Amino acid sequence: MRSMALALLALVACQRSDKPAVIAPTGVVIAPRGELIAPAATDPLPAHGFVTLDTSLKARRRAVPAEVVLRAYLGWFGGLAPREAFLRARGNDLFDQWSYYLAALGLPDHHVDAPRVSQSNTVMLATMGRMGEALCIRSIERDLRTRTTPLADRVIFAFEPVVGPDRAAFASRFDVLHRTFLGYPATLAPTTRTERFFALYRAVAARHRGGRLTADETAWAAVCTALVQHPEAWLY
Amino acid sequence: MRWPHAVVLALAMLARDTGAERTLPDYRYFRALSIDVVGRPPTRAELAEFEQPTFNLDKWLDTRLGGPAYVERIRRIYADLLRLELPENSAVFRPPSILLQWTTIQDPDGKTVSLYFRDAQRRAKPEIDGQVCFTPAEIGVTVGPEGNHSGTPKPVSKKLLDERTVVVKPWWLYADYKDKQPRDRAEPGWVQRFGYELTWSLFTEPDGKTPTTGVRVCREEAQLPATGRVYATGRDSKKGDPIPSGRTTRLPGDTAFARANAGRLTSCTAQTGYESSVECGCGIGLERCLPTSPGGFVMPWITPLGVNQPFDSAPRPAALWLRAWWSQEAIHFLDRIFQDDRDVREILISPSTMVNGPLAQFYRFFANATCCGAAAELGYSKAEPLFDPATVPTLAPYEVSNWKVVEDRGPHAAGVLTMPMFLLKYGSRRQRAHVVYNAFMCKEFVAETVKLAPSTEPDLTKRAGCASCHKRLEPMSAYFARIQESDWTYLPASHLPVSLDRCTAGGPAGMPMGACRTFYDADFTTRTSTVLRGAYSAPSHADEGPRGLAREVTSSPEFAPCVVRNVAQSLLGRQLTVEDEAWKTALADRFRDGGFRMRSLVRSILTSTQYRHANDRAPRAE
Repeated sequence: MRSMALALLALVACQRSDKPAVIAPTGVVIAPRGELIAPAATDPLPAHGFVTLDTSLKARRRAVPAEVVLRAYLGWFGGLAPREAFLRARGNDLFDQWSYYLAALGLPDHHVDAPRVSQSNTVMLATMGRMGEALCIRSIERDLRTRTTPLADRVIFAFEPVVGPDRAAFASRFDVLHRTFLGYPATLAPTTRTERFFALYRAVAARHRGGRLTADETAWAAVCTALVQHPEAWLY
Repeated sequence: MRWPHAVVLALAMLARDTGAERTLPDYRYFRALSIDVVGRPPTRAELAEFEQPTFNLDKWLDTRLGGPAYVERIRRIYADLLRLELPENSAVFRPPSILLQWTTIQDPDGKTVSLYFRDAQRRAKPEIDGQVCFTPAEIGVTVGPEGNHSGTPKPVSKKLLDERTVVVKPWWLYADYKDKQPRDRAEPGWVQRFGYELTWSLFTEPDGKTPTTGVRVCREEAQLPATGRVYATGRDSKKGDPIPSGRTTRLPGDTAFARANAGRLTSCTAQTGYESSVECGCGIGLERCLPTSPGGFVMPWITPLGVNQPFDSAPRPAALWLRAWWSQEAIHFLDRIFQDDRDVREILISPSTMVNGPLAQFYRFFANATCCGAAAELGYSKAEPLFDPATVPTLAPYEVSNWKVVEDRGPHAAGVLTMPMFLLKYGSRRQRAHVVYNAFMCKEFVAETVKLAPSTEPDLTKRAGCASCHKRLEPMSAYFARIQESDWTYLPASHLPVSLDRCTAGGPAGMPMGACRTFYDADFTTRTSTVLRGAYSAPSHADEGPRGLAREVTSSPEFAPCVVRNVAQSLLGRQLTVEDEAWKTALADRFRDGGFRMRSLVRSILTSTQYRHANDRAPRAE
């Protein structure tokens, strides 16, 4: 098509001036050589419409810096040192090595000029899920199962559990976790978050087939793990 | 009915003032502030405090600006820009004069014992001069320069053992190593006491059972004096000379320095003392040396939350742990600026720094070990250092967690620009200038679009295709012309002026070989003049040194807006755009007028609409 158009243009250029104007395939009106297009009054422009532009910045949420993630995580483990947190978290294939997780969380490595990762990615999310699971199960064991930690000293499950909680009993306990991980009351959550997590709780408890944890403990671990890796927990 | 925005805002503020319930944006803002100035999300207890009607957010913020989490948050911005860590496998700073190599020999009872020695240590006996203090015939094995040995070991006689070696209670095993009878031996409690941890490989002899109460070293290495007489043998050793039987290296020949200064005193902490004196050792408790093996010095390994909270650590040779402390020096230096809300320009211009025990040992005894190399030919044999050892505070090498301020390192010091970590991370003059240009002026070198043609023009500020960047880069890099590349040795004008007559090409053979060609640029040398390497584009910058660059950058109009840009982008989590220009300019003006203080800048950003709205996206339903 392009070559045809060029050939046509060349043809027009070689034609005598008394030939009529030609309309090229591009739609451009080509005047015969030596002729001018006579001036004519322009059509008035259409009236301006007004469109309101929102010029405010549409920023993506910031990723919580990896250092903050780590400090928060250690704090949720009861303020343990990294080595102690590792010792508590490992076992039952729940936690690997810190070195496996640190780069995935987006820490820069200045030794090799690897920059900080400021946007989330699937490996980062999977790592947070893995770390969250270890945290929640160990906290269940410590706070709810053995109940060796006084209520006031519990970092995660700072409530007394009930067997098969109804919606109201669930909501008050869920609010404790919601404040811990997302930093505000569940009642202010913009969606039907409590309902959805209650549904999750019941679904997990219903499918429970026995094991080290009871159905309610497993369900709380699932709710906790889901909140730890909630986007609002790692974006701000 | 839609309420005007201002009315909604006023009602919200009124509600807050009267202690009404917090809104979701309030909680989000508080959480963001907590993440940025407390270093973690708020706890439930802190949320409960926040929900109290009497809670004063301004007061809360003010008390946290200046806290350790705030300091770490702001330091991270510059740590990310400067990236002051070295690659793990980089073999930097291994001068043989400070490294005690480790090997084993058999004592008179046939028991394997450790022996420390310095490679190339000068000894009066020719058969052992420049190598370990026993011949292969005496111990049955040939010991290489790094302590590796081959052959079948045989017991050494007690007489010979006592003649050639001595047992020392070293600094790494005894806190009171300077006493006549050291007794305070290292034990696991030193971690809490000094922040210093040894693995058991350094506590026991090679049998793994016998406690190590001292280390056996060759007698010359154990010598104490700070100076030694220059020793000239009259030997002339050349490459290609045969290696005498029973030796692993050629006999050391006399250096030009030794020939010129035979019999005179020279410093034992300088390379010349090590190369040219049989009287120079490692000093009291071997404090002028580092053991290279076994790897018993436990180093924090992955430290995103600081060296006191390592995520991993590993025992390593002491020679390797210096790089960790070089990095920590820069961190502590930056922390002090942000902690005390000092003038941010100090990052580049301050003569001060902070050191702990290992760094004090480094600056007092080790730093000058790389001086002066070939410059000795030009008469430069006693280092004029970037960090004057006389200003180093009294700290024992094992005092890892004790940090002290050094207010003035000396006339050549300039913030991070003269710290070992910066000078090694950015080895060349141009690298050094580039990172400063980028991190503190927020500018980048971008080449113009030009067709490159072959050129013999050595001046890159003129060569087509190069000039667009190098016109700016070369004069900046000239400020580093007096600091050797990949090193921190200072090249003083007293010995190495910008142009040195004896290095010109006036002689029949042209520019002399050796030190002249090492330190002076042959491309800019004529029959009447020469130019110190790196100084050709701006000779005066070479004499101003890194302090000159610091002055130029901090007084440039780009400096304050660049600080604002770096800090604001980090706190907002996004790039500043043209819409932010007025805000950025106002912040920069206030920052400049307020004496370049970081705390008020950060406060302005954290309380700005831009920060509050940095994450104004409505959350999606999960």
